[in-house]
Order: sequence, then structure tokens, then C-alpha cells
Amino acid sequence: MTSQTFSTWGRWVVGHEQVPQDKLPSEFAKNQPLKAFMGWDGLFVHDTTVNLVDMARAYMKLAREESCGQCFPCRLGTEDMSAILDGICAGKGTAAELDRLESLARLVSQTARCDIGQTAPRPLLDLLQYRREDFLKIIKNKAPIPTGHYIAKVTAPCTNACPSHVNIPDYVEKIRIGRWDQALSSIRNDCPLPGVIGRVCVRPCEFNCRRQHVDSGIAIRALKRFAADTELASGDEPCLHSGPTKDKKVAIIGAGPAGLACAYYLGLRGYASTIFEVMNEPGGMTAVGIPDYRLPRDILRHEANQVKKLGCEIRYGVNVGVDITLKDLKLQGYGAIFVGVGAPEASKMRCEGEDAGYKGFMTGVEFLRRIADGEQSVEGKKFLAIGGGNVAMDCVRSALRLGYTDVNLIYRRTRAEMPADPVEITEAEEEGVKFHFLVAPLKIIAEEGKVTGLECHRMELGEPDASGRRRPVVVEGSNFIIECDFIVPAIGQVCVVDCVLPPGEVEISKWKTLPTDEITRRTNQPSIFGGGDCVTGPATLIAALAAGKNAARFIDQFLSSGTSTPEDCDYMERLISKLGVFNSKEKMPYKDSKTKLHPPMMEPEIRIKSFDEAEGKINAASATKEASRCLRCYRIAMAAV
Amino acid sequence: MNTMTLNGKNISFNPGDTILDVAQENGVEIPTLCYLQAADHKGVCRVCVVEVDGADRLLPACATPAADGMVVETHSELVVQTRKMMLELLLADGDHNCLFCESNGDCKLQELVYEYGIKDAPRTATYEPRPIDDATPMIFRDFNKCVLCGRCVAACNDVQCNDAIPFPYGRREEKPLPTGWLPLADYDHCVHCGECIQACPVGAIIEKKAIGQARSWEMEKVRSTCPYCGVGCQLWLHVKDDRIIKVTGVEDGSPNKGRLCVKGRFGYDFIYSEERLKTPLIRENGGFREASWDEALDLVANKFKEIIATHGPDAIGGVSCSRSINEDSYNMQKFFREVLGTNNIDNCART
Ligand SMILES: Cc1cc2nc3c(=O)[nH]c(=O)nc-3n(C[C@H](O)[C@H](O)[C@H](O)COP(=O)(O)OP(=O)(O)OC[C@H]3O[C@@H](n4cnc5c(N)ncnc54)[C@H](O)[C@@H]3O)c2cc1C
Ligand code: SF4
Ligand code: SF4
Ligand code: SF4
Ligand code: FES
Repeated sequence: MTSQTFSTWGRWVVGHEQVPQDKLPSEFAKNQPLKAFMGWDGLFVHDTTVNLVDMARAYMKLAREESCGQCFPCRLGTEDMSAILDGICAGKGTAAELDRLESLARLVSQTARCDIGQTAPRPLLDLLQYRREDFLKIIKNKAPIPTGHYIAKVTAPCTNACPSHVNIPDYVEKIRIGRWDQALSSIRNDCPLPGVIGRVCVRPCEFNCRRQHVDSGIAIRALKRFAADTELASGDEPCLHSGPTKDKKVAIIGAGPAGLACAYYLGLRGYASTIFEVMNEPGGMTAVGIPDYRLPRDILRHEANQVKKLGCEIRYGVNVGVDITLKDLKLQGYGAIFVGVGAPEASKMRCEGEDAGYKGFMTGVEFLRRIADGEQSVEGKKFLAIGGGNVAMDCVRSALRLGYTDVNLIYRRTRAEMPADPVEITEAEEEGVKFHFLVAPLKIIAEEGKVTGLECHRMELGEPDASGRRRPVVVEGSNFIIECDFIVPAIGQVCVVDCVLPPGEVEISKWKTLPTDEITRRTNQPSIFGGGDCVTGPATLIAALAAGKNAARFIDQFLSSGTSTPEDCDYMERLISKLGVFNSKEKMPYKDSKTKLHPPMMEPEIRIKSFDEAEGKINAASATKEASRCLRCYRIAMAAV
Repeated sequence: MNTMTLNGKNISFNPGDTILDVAQENGVEIPTLCYLQAADHKGVCRVCVVEVDGADRLLPACATPAADGMVVETHSELVVQTRKMMLELLLADGDHNCLFCESNGDCKLQELVYEYGIKDAPRTATYEPRPIDDATPMIFRDFNKCVLCGRCVAACNDVQCNDAIPFPYGRREEKPLPTGWLPLADYDHCVHCGECIQACPVGAIIEKKAIGQARSWEMEKVRSTCPYCGVGCQLWLHVKDDRIIKVTGVEDGSPNKGRLCVKGRFGYDFIYSEERLKTPLIRENGGFREASWDEALDLVANKFKEIIATHGPDAIGGVSCSRSINEDSYNMQKFFREVLGTNNIDNCART
């Protein structure tokens, strides 16, 4: 290793290869090169001007601060390593200390309990192996070296996978030690609706949980729900205080998750806000989309209404764009506007008869909204939904609860390609939903304006498409008719931002979404921000909450300084995501056989009788037990720019 | 199935066993410091680490499940070197002067330091002196000797469930030393059961009454039953010159499995009280006169007869003491019902 720039990145993970240097990110932000990076997997250096010894000092100082003190080697070792590195950088080091530093680094990485201790010494060990002369030079010179400035961030595989970067190991640990109240405040730092998310989050974290390599992943969502349920049962009100009052106020369009999160975090920053909501209820799709058996409405209302404590007023029944315009809002003195109007319209199937207005045909979102509002009744016996996602699952499972006795779902690919949560699919199956795979709709059959059946093709899987899934192709001449009384397509939603904002004033994409900066969530207008489904197209609750949370920070920045520019921590976050934290190929040095905590479920034949919540509560003992399986995969990242 | 190699020997194990369980069953000693079985507390001290073939690090024997085909070395050179370094760090991170320590001779750290031949304990970070807690009458805590193994925390929260030693750990940033990470007691919740004393592997928590009374090797352990309530907890009396110096629970003895309450552990002073009655006393002329057992019992028997003759047996009532054993209480009620002829018999059911 003669060249001055080098990389050891990736060499530490068992089952993983070292990443060539040219494959590693070299840009931190636009026009800001990444000079060097140290982390859980080694280090890489693109620029020789970085003093790696000083950077190692800073890195170890941070590791020492992050150490939780539970295991001996990390508690004592990081302390000593940090002290030795301080000495070396102050020009007071000795060669003997360098050997001791190496032994300590090896000890800590070999024996520590969690990833802070196991991974933090790695870049140091790499440096001692490949750049020992750098240390010796400083030791010989006996003069202090200048202290650099570095950007650091602590993450974890689960945390990194969560769009809002909830500090999962932290709250899981707090549950382990019985402090659900502290766990909850940790969750609320990044997620304002713990009881909602604890029930219906699509849980990307769990799919990125490292415990899977040992036995089964942590039930991260269930633990979140446990903390929220415990607070609710205790009768304690969440401890929320709005920040020091600011004189500027913010208008928010839409009381969906994105709008609520924006109001919540603006409130914590001291800003009063007004949410304009066309419906008479908070929660957006969470209220009128997600059925009650997954998310009881009182839980949502309780948590959504917390924003009122933080200086937010919600005005219901106001249709922005019709009842009030953007211009009016500006005239009323709102300093900034957040748009969180979601993706409310159902996508078209391009199937004959879908616009004919037949009785017995209704889009998925409309069907679910009518159920939520108590307006929908059973029409016939046989129900047919079209689609393979979670909304389709909600439709068929709701149809059963409504009283349809023969509930069917057609999907044009196979079960393996279904985007719906596997748990949802299994539960729907248990409840008696019949799945028909490799079937696509062609024409709605109706008699006297009333649906009687659906003409379909059979499909087969062809070449993979852009999403990597194999593209379904029609099997010619395979047409057949499924008789049914009610048809509900649930194949996606689209945005209609143009109905809310006057085109021309704010840029709107050809898909009628609202383009925003990926970090600051600002539109092409400096005072208008947006987030959630109206920006991304239909996505997830937690992504909407994250967008609202981030927008609040940049709205604050805009209102106090007139600009909104990403901060170092944002670029760092992006860099870490690019490098990836969860490694699906990692091989753990041991295996265990503990099973994941599964919350109790109502029996299928009972749960389909009503819209009562199907998933039960977990008790404190099983929550603690589950939490104690967490490996605390904290990782420390540091960049020199 | 379910066989592994331990120090070169092929052995079978029960699924669910840890490496430590397997080693113990097969007479292989692996040192432990933090492991507290009763609370399933483990994985903290890492002195139990062992080398497992194919693992990229050393694994704690107390917390790693045994697996089929696993090859484990419990005392390889790497393992011994690692334990040594850990012990050095531990010794340096405290103020351990065994000469003056009550735990001298009964200390896990001292044992291990001796076994692993630790001569000196280098350290670069500076040691900040830590507090001493002398606030309560029974328990003395010297955190300069605390190794932060967390056993007292587990004992208090998970064994006795008193929640009097809040979980001390957290990011160092948020828990500044010297007190940050220490298992400080919250005396609002403490019931002085002394479970933490018994759990502490070193000399950081000790019985105040025992201070300066005896060296560990001078005491003889006498097994006994707690004289207080009817549960009958099993005790070790640590005795020197016929005097109890301290009391601990018998770890494998039923019914208490090592647990004690404040009375069982600390309430033995009455034995040496000058005011203890040693012979029966008979009240006469406004004072007491010492008497023999025969004289006293005859007097009581006659008085009972007299009362029954004039007022009937229901004029007499008896309360048996719950410190008595079951058999005695049984006899007492039998005596009241059958001999005296009354159902006026009860038990105080408390001390
Ligand atoms: C049936 C269904 C089930 C789902 N299940 C899950 C799930 O289990 N887990 C998960 O993570 N995600 C789920 N999602 C997705 C999730 O609900 C959305 O991603 C999320 O609600 C998006 O939040 P948002 O705030 O961007 O938009 P929305 O929730 O759509 O909220 C937008 C709000 O703006 C209001 N609004 C719109 N236009 C105007 C206007 N002109 N004036 C005033 N107000 C206006 C709307 O009434 C609405 O209240 C589901 C979605 C559906 C449809
Ligand atoms: S084990 Fe814990 S810290 Fe590690 S990924 Fe899973 S939840 Fe996160
Ligand atoms: S705690 Fe143990 S090692 Fe420390 S001084 Fe006491 S006897 Fe010695
Ligand atoms: S006081 Fe004793 S038992 Fe408690 S943490 Fe310290 S050394 Fe361990
Ligand atoms: S005894 Fe195993 S880690 Fe302490």
C-alpha cells in the first residue's frame, strides 16, 4: 500500500468483500469533496491532506462518549485509547504507548458487547497497520498537531433503514430496563405518532435488523406500540412543551401524517401553525384509508390531537384551492406554507367499463373511505378486489368484515411479487380470502348498470422490468369471466396537487406531484415546502412523518434566516445511506434460537366478525424479553471534508 | 447431534445450554464476574470470553448458546492474554487496597487477579475518585471499589424487584463521571434487604455492622433457619468467636434460594441484648423474682385451672407466635382445644 490515498472499507465484515476505493463515495455535498471517512467497516481516504492521526483521535473521543458503560472492555478501553491518542496528538506520546494502543484496540474489538466497542477500534487498527509511520512521526517530533474539524453521526442498521431515523437501539434498550416513558420520549424525537406507527408501520427497520443473522429480528414495531399503549393505560399525558414562542406562523395544508408531523415539530420549535384540512378528521389516509381493525380511530385521534398542545390549530372542512387560496394564506400573514395533501385519487386500471359508473364498482380508496365513514353496506355476496399491495389487502379484509361471504383477489403476478406485507397476506388468507394469481382485468361485465362479473386474462411472467420483478405478459386467448357482485380496484393512487396549488406559481410535475428538494423539502418557491405522498406518490406513513419533521427544521431555518440549506448532518445521513449500514450477507459468529415476539392475534373466525382491533397488547415481561435480544448495533461514522 | 468440542474433548450438551453451562457440567472452569444466574444477568464483564473456531471475535461463555459442532477453547493463549488485560484495566479503574478491604479473601476480583498473575495495572486515563455512601445504618457503599458489573442493579431490580438501584448506564456524554455510571441507591425505594451486598462480587457494598469485626477467613459459616416469620429462610451465619458477624442467604437452599429480607439479614442484634430473659420471672409484690421452669409452669397450670373453674374455658385465649415452627403452633392449638377446651386460639401471622 504505497499510494497515499487508500481504503480498508469492507474488510472487517465476515461474508463481505473489501470495497475498491473508486467505488466509494468521493463527494460529501455538491462541490464539497469527501476527503476521508472512518466508520464501522474501516476507513477510506481520498485526500492526503487529512491528518489521519488527529482524525483517529476525534473518532475515538466520540466512541468514548457514545460508550454506554455496560461492558468492561468498551467502558475502560475507549477511555484509555482516547487518553493515549490525546497524548500522542499533544506531542507527548511514546512508542510503547503505541503498542499498548494497539493491544487495547484489539481487546475492545474482540470482546466488547455491542457494536460501539466491536467496531469503533477498526479504523484505528487499520491505521496502525497501514499508517503506523504517521503515528511514529508525531511521537518523534514531540510537538502538538493541529486539531481538525470532522462531521460525525451515530447510526444503526435499523435506524438507517427507518425513513425518519428513529433511534431504535436507544428506545429498545429503555424498554429493556423498564423505562417505557423514556423510550417514548426517545421515539417522539423522530416520530410524533408512536401508537399509530407502532401498529401500522411497514417497518423497514425490521427487515434491516441484524438480529436476523442470529435467529430472528427484533419486533421493533410491537415494542413501539407497547410503549405507547403503556402510556395510554397509565393515563399520563405525553410530556410535550412547545419551544420559546416565535412571532412567525406557518400554514399547513392537509392534516395527514405529513402535515401533523410538520405542525408537531414546528410546535417544538416554538412556531404556531394552522392546519387547513378538507375533511372533518385528522390523519388523512391513516384515518380514512387504514381500516379500524388495524388502527382504531381513537388511537389516531388521541395522538393527532397532541399537536394542539404545541400551538397548532386545525381548521376542518376547508378545501384549499376552492375555499381559500395560496394568495389568501400569504395575505393572512403566514410566513411559510407546508403542503401535505397526499395522493388521494385512485389510479386507473385501463380496463373497459371502469368509468361507466356501474353500481357495484368502486375504487379501493373510496371503498375504504366509505367504510371509515360508516357509509358502506354489503351489496351481494361475491367481492372481487384487484391488486397486490397493502391497500388491496385492506379492501378484501374489510369486505369480509363488512359481511361479504366470498371474497376474492386477483393479482397479475405471483405471490412472490406481491408488494403487500407478507404478514398481511397470511392474515388475509387465514381469514378466508381467495387469491387468484397471474390474472389481470380486461373488462367489467354489467347488466342494467349493475356489475355481474369481470372478464380477465391469464398472465405469465416474462423478463424482469425496471423494478427487477418479472413482467407479467398476457397469455393470448386465455380470457375468462369471474362472476361477482362488487369490484374494487386497488392498484395505486395518484396525486392531484394541481387542484390545490395554482399551476404556474409553484412547479408541479407532469404526474401532478409537487417536486421538492430531497433534503430541505422546499419547492421552487422559497417559502413553500411540501412532503409526504403528494411529493413522492403513494408511500408510507413513516416517510410522510419524516418529511414533515425535516420540513419543520428547514421552515424554521427559512423563517429565522431567510434561507433553507441542508446542514452537514443531512449530507452525512445521505452519505451513510449510500454506504449502507445493514449487510444482508454478514455472518455472525454465533447462532441462537430465540423466536421473535408475536403479539397475540384474535382468531380469524372471530376477527372477521367486526372491525375491532385484531392485534392484541403485549405485556411488560414479554416486551422486556424481546428488547433484551437487541444487539445494539450502533455504528459511528466520521467524515473529513 | 448436539455435540461440541471443549478444549479438545468431544462432549454432548442439552439444547439451550450456554457455553458456560456446558463447561460447568464438564468440570471446566471459566471465570465469571458479572454473571448472576438468579437474575439472568450476564454479558457485562467479558472475563468469561472464550475462543470459538470460525468466530471473528471472542465470545462470552455466559451468554453464547452452545451449538452443534462448535469448537471452543477456554484457556487458549489469546483468551488468557485477553482476560489478563481486562483484569489490568479493571484493577486500574478503581482504588483497590485489599489490606483494608472487608472483602479481602472473599473477592472475585482479588481471586482472578491472583489467578491470572496480574502484577501491575497500567492506565493512561486519569482515575477520578468516586463517592462513598455512608448514609444508611446497614449498608456501606464504596464506589471506588465498584467494578460496575451491574450485579447489584440486577439483584435489586430483577431479583427483589425493589427498583431502588436505577439502571445506571447510558451514553457517557449524558452520564458524566464520577457519579454518572455508578449504581447509586435510591433510598426512597430501598428496603434494606441487602440483596445488593450479597450480589456484589467485590468489596464495594458491605454490611456496615461487620466492618472491622473479622477477616473473611476467620469466620465460620453456620447454616440456620431464620427465626422471624414462618417462611423459614435458610441462612448462613458468619460466626467468629461465637458471635454472628454477618448473615447471608443460602444460595441453593429452599425456600428462599439465597434471598433474605431486612430482618433475616440484619436483625440478629437481639441475641446479644443484655435485656434478654434468661430464666422465667414471677411477678411478686410489684416486682419480678427469678424462678425455675418447674415452679413457673406449675403456677401457670394452676392459674389456668382456677380460671376455667370459675369463668369457664372460654375465658382463656391463646395467640401462637408466628416465629414458632408449624409443629409448635399445631401443638398449641391442640392444647387449647383438647386440653383447655376452648376455640379461642389464633396466630399473629407476622412478627
Ligand atoms: C388504504 C391504505 C392503507 C395504508 N396502509 C398503510 C400502512 O399500513 N402503513 C403505512 O406506513 N402506510 C400505509 N398507507 C400509506 C399512508 O397512509 C400514506 O403514505 C400517508 O397517509 C401519507 O401521508 P400524507 O400526509 O402525505 O397524505 P394523506 O394521508 O393523504 O393526507 C393528506 C391530507 O390532506 C388533505 N387534503 C388534500 N387536499 C386538500 C385540500 N385541497 N385542502 C385541504 N386539505 C386537503 C386530505 O384530506 C388529507 O387529510 C396506506 C394508505 C392507504 C390508502
Ligand atoms: S439488533 Fe437492535 S440495534 Fe441491531 S439492527 Fe436489530 S434492532 Fe437495530
Ligand atoms: S474489592 Fe476486592 S480487589 Fe478491591 S480492594 Fe477489596 S478485596 Fe481488594
Ligand atoms: S456495587 Fe458491586 S455489584 Fe454493584 S456494580 Fe459495583 S461491583 Fe457490581
Ligand atoms: S460472566 Fe460472562 S460477561 Fe461477565
